[in-house]
Amino acid sequence: MSRGTRFRETMTGSMRLTTSGRVSPVRLDLRASADHVLRPFGTTLARVEGRVRVAGLADDPAASGELEISPLAARRIRYRLAFTAGGRRLVLDGWKSITPRHPVRSMTVLPFTLYEDDEPLGTGTLRFRARALPSFLAGFRFPRREDPDALTAARWRGAPGRTEVWYTTVTDPATGTGLWLHHELTAPADGSAAYAHGWAAVFPKGAPVRHARFGPVPWKPEDRGFAADGVRAVPGRLAGAAGAMNWDLTEQPEAAPLFTFPRWSWRRPLLPAAQILPAARATYEGTVRYEDGTLELTGAPGASARIYGHGNARRWSWLHADLGGGDVLEIVAAVSTRPGLRRLPPLVFLRLRRDGRTWPRRPERSAIGWAGALRFRADIGLPTWTVTGRAGLRRIRVTVTQPEDRTLALEYTDPDGARATCRNCERADAQVRLDRWWGRWRPEADWRLDGTAHAEVGTR
Amino acid sequence: MSLDGLVAGLLASDGTEEWAARTPHRLESLLSAMPLPSRAGIRAAARAIDAYALVRTGRRLGGLTPAEREGVLAALGARPRLQPMLDVLKVPVLLAAGTERLAGRAAPPTAPVPADPPLDCTPAHAWPRRSTADAVVIGSGAGGAMAARTLARAGARVVVVEEGAHHSTASFGRRAPLDRFTDLYRDGGATIALGDPPLLLPVGRAVGGTTVVNSGTCYRTPAHVLARWTQQYGFAAAAQLDAFLDEAERTLHVGPQSLDVLGANGRIALAGAAALGWRAAPLRRNAPGCRGSCQCVVGCPTGAKQSVQLSVLPDACAAGARIVTGARVLRILVDPGRPGGPRAAGVRVAVSGGAGRRGDDSAESEILAPLVVVAAGALQSPALLRRSGLGRHPRLGRNLSVHPATSVAGRFAEPVTAWEGVLQSVGVEELHSRGVLIEATATPPGMGSFVLPGVGRELRDELEDAGRLATLGAMVADLPSGRVLGRDRVLVRYGLSPRDADRLLHAVRAMAQLLFAAGAQEVLTGIPVAPRARSVRELDAILGRVGPRQLHLSAYHPTGTVAAGADPQRAPTDGTGRLRGVHGVVVADGSLLPSCPEVNPQLSIMAAALAVAEAHTGG
Repeated sequence: MSRGTRFRETMTGSMRLTTSGRVSPVRLDLRASADHVLRPFGTTLARVEGRVRVAGLADDPAASGELEISPLAARRIRYRLAFTAGGRRLVLDGWKSITPRHPVRSMTVLPFTLYEDDEPLGTGTLRFRARALPSFLAGFRFPRREDPDALTAARWRGAPGRTEVWYTTVTDPATGTGLWLHHELTAPADGSAAYAHGWAAVFPKGAPVRHARFGPVPWKPEDRGFAADGVRAVPGRLAGAAGAMNWDLTEQPEAAPLFTFPRWSWRRPLLPAAQILPAARATYEGTVRYEDGTLELTGAPGASARIYGHGNARRWSWLHADLGGGDVLEIVAAVSTRPGLRRLPPLVFLRLRRDGRTWPRRPERSAIGWAGALRFRADIGLPTWTVTGRAGLRRIRVTVTQPEDRTLALEYTDPDGARATCRNCERADAQVRLDRWWGRWRPEADWRLDGTAHAEVGTR
Repeated sequence: MSLDGLVAGLLASDGTEEWAARTPHRLESLLSAMPLPSRAGIRAAARAIDAYALVRTGRRLGGLTPAEREGVLAALGARPRLQPMLDVLKVPVLLAAGTERLAGRAAPPTAPVPADPPLDCTPAHAWPRRSTADAVVIGSGAGGAMAARTLARAGARVVVVEEGAHHSTASFGRRAPLDRFTDLYRDGGATIALGDPPLLLPVGRAVGGTTVVNSGTCYRTPAHVLARWTQQYGFAAAAQLDAFLDEAERTLHVGPQSLDVLGANGRIALAGAAALGWRAAPLRRNAPGCRGSCQCVVGCPTGAKQSVQLSVLPDACAAGARIVTGARVLRILVDPGRPGGPRAAGVRVAVSGGAGRRGDDSAESEILAPLVVVAAGALQSPALLRRSGLGRHPRLGRNLSVHPATSVAGRFAEPVTAWEGVLQSVGVEELHSRGVLIEATATPPGMGSFVLPGVGRELRDELEDAGRLATLGAMVADLPSGRVLGRDRVLVRYGLSPRDADRLLHAVRAMAQLLFAAGAQEVLTGIPVAPRARSVRELDAILGRVGPRQLHLSAYHPTGTVAAGADPQRAPTDGTGRLRGVHGVVVADGSLLPSCPEVNPQLSIMAAALAVAEAHTGG
């Protein structure tokens, strides 16, 4: 696992057009992201996006380009930005030349040339203002960069009493049909041979839920993901057959990984179980055939998730809601089976990814709050369950409804042989309300999902 | 300090002639174009003479009568040890006086000159502070122009960075020779190679480089020199240089100088050679329509001389190259730590004439390019590489080869008027195999390397009688015996080797022989202690008691300071002109030549640059 770099930078200045001699103010608001941590003694290449404003010429909020950051090696920080001005495609190319004689000025002054079709259109100078320094420095982030494929690979290394799950839920936007593919590896606690099994379920609109099981078959290690009984769940591909159903789908990740549980709990399995999403959102293409129909998926939204742990919880609820516009809400609320812990109210892991940022920032915040205070609360029930909570200046209320007729009830078996009942609905309704404190609670966002939420409630 | 008294004393002027009255002012403007050390040296010498006058007469030179001044200077001139100091003063004074005297005799109206072929020149202060190119060529002289044309024709976006300004043919016609002189030469023409004896080493600085101010003589590289470069030094590009020399000759329209405008100076040289039975002929030159203006060294006012800004650079610009003028390259930008070693990334340029404050980086401009062609000339290229951090090779800046030269004048009974005709007209190659090349060279008064003898009245008489003088120059092929030092300011050191000193004395004798054979009454030797000889025998006696240090020496054609060669220990660039130790830096000027080319080197440099650029484009 490595870390990347993200920062924002604002520069202002002016430019002179070669032809007319007119001088115009210029402003750049840039977001830069690099695939690794800035290397002070080397060269870092970063992507850059943002807004370019040239008074009277351009205001393009979707400028994009690249940044070559080499303050000591090449002594140059070069900006190349392409943007649109009234249908014309312009390129801004300039660089800061770092010199130890004028460290501050050379780090903050950016002379540039503006080109159209490789012909210079004008020249100018941008400056990074000292007043922008605090926000610039505070805006530096070094986000981890996960390899989603590595997150899909099997975790189990032979220990008894483990269970590992690859599951995928999809909504077909054309028909409203939900799809659930569940692939499970169980290593019984008594030390007997591990086995693989699973099922597929289709939730057609206005028709009963169909499902079919595959396996169990002995587990054969597969590095990239799950493969057993002709069923495969590997990065980018889901294929297999179970009973009267067969499916062949491709999976295209659309977002960064989402750790519903704390990241450390996935790396070091100290909690009874942990769940993650290798990609918070994904789209699916392909065909699913079931006994009385065929589902043709094209760009269907959904997500794949992974669970690794000792078994199922004592009680749990789960929600995956694609809120549109790239926003995703993922909730797992669970009561552990362990003695002592089982007396606690459900631990809520709520992750709201909005505009690329995840709230609350730490998964522990919603689960345990501040030593229990201000933790998020879940009221697990059927057909409706709710989660509420507050962190920082925001509060959320999520209401999930799993109508009986759209819900599939299945029995799970834990590694220790215990049984649990799961009620899964890939056509659930959900209402999400987000408020922000600004003198008083004011509504910030309100999402209603009608039959497109993916939810599950488990009981014993 | 006023120079009026000094000028009046040296020229024995009584203040009545208009031209002599204007000379001090002209001298001041000439001094202001010179670098500080030269200026300070001349002023110090002038002060010393003033002090001498003060001690001897109680008054400064300016306050004396003409007769008293004559007396003071005659007393000084009688001391042989003071001759060098007087000569240092005489050179600029004669230059200024010659200009003013000619200015009096209004130049004959010349026919309208054709417009120069177009160039894409941009002054540095109008050039963007950030720009990119496929190749940056540093210097627009013979080598840089040829490299720029080759790269531009291969499709590269080429930017030529030139420290000097662009001068059009029409601008040459409008201005006095000396005004052009100070503009067109680096350091106002006062570049000195320090050593014993010191050498005056003038180099051009303009769009077109030294080709703007050379005499237009175009010799092909001799076969034995090419063979030496290839076999002894491993300069691989020299193997095919013949074809590139053909191309350079075609580009410059090189041909033998026609006899009609040759001038009396050249005819005397031919006559002398004929009388001695020596090999001599009008020189091959790049001036097809030469009208004999005799102003080659300050820019051809008729546009006949095909300097590269009239012949090569227009082709380069037509192929898309652009020229930035008034732009001195501060350093070549190098990206270290790249896979495969450091690589050139472009150049940083100091902008002259811009609005930037001193020390403000707004007076700097950067051009990024993956290929940097160094063609700043043999004196400037090593310094540029050093200040770019690329000067680690122990031989960089060494191996400086020049053509030490001296000149001799002959006085004839008939007027010669040497400044009417071709400036460098006839080559006498009889002694070339012995490393001496004699070229009949006449310059506008005062501008040549020949210094008239005497001070005061004597000098004045010589000046008045200059119309009866014919001048020959000789240059000798040297052993590389110089060195270029410095990073920001260039310091040239040159130690004349004993072999070359002998060759110089031999050359003086040969030139005198030639002049006497052509009918000269006496020969001006240029040796201050024995300025005149009436026969070859008399000259032999003089040469027997003086050494080369008494000669007025100048030097031309610096080459070899970033020499190409196969041996990584000895040559800073490889056989195809790539600088060792860095990717993307190619040398394409006179500094590339591994040893003395033994002839005027314009064609050799152009062919070498062409070879290097072709090798780089894969052509």
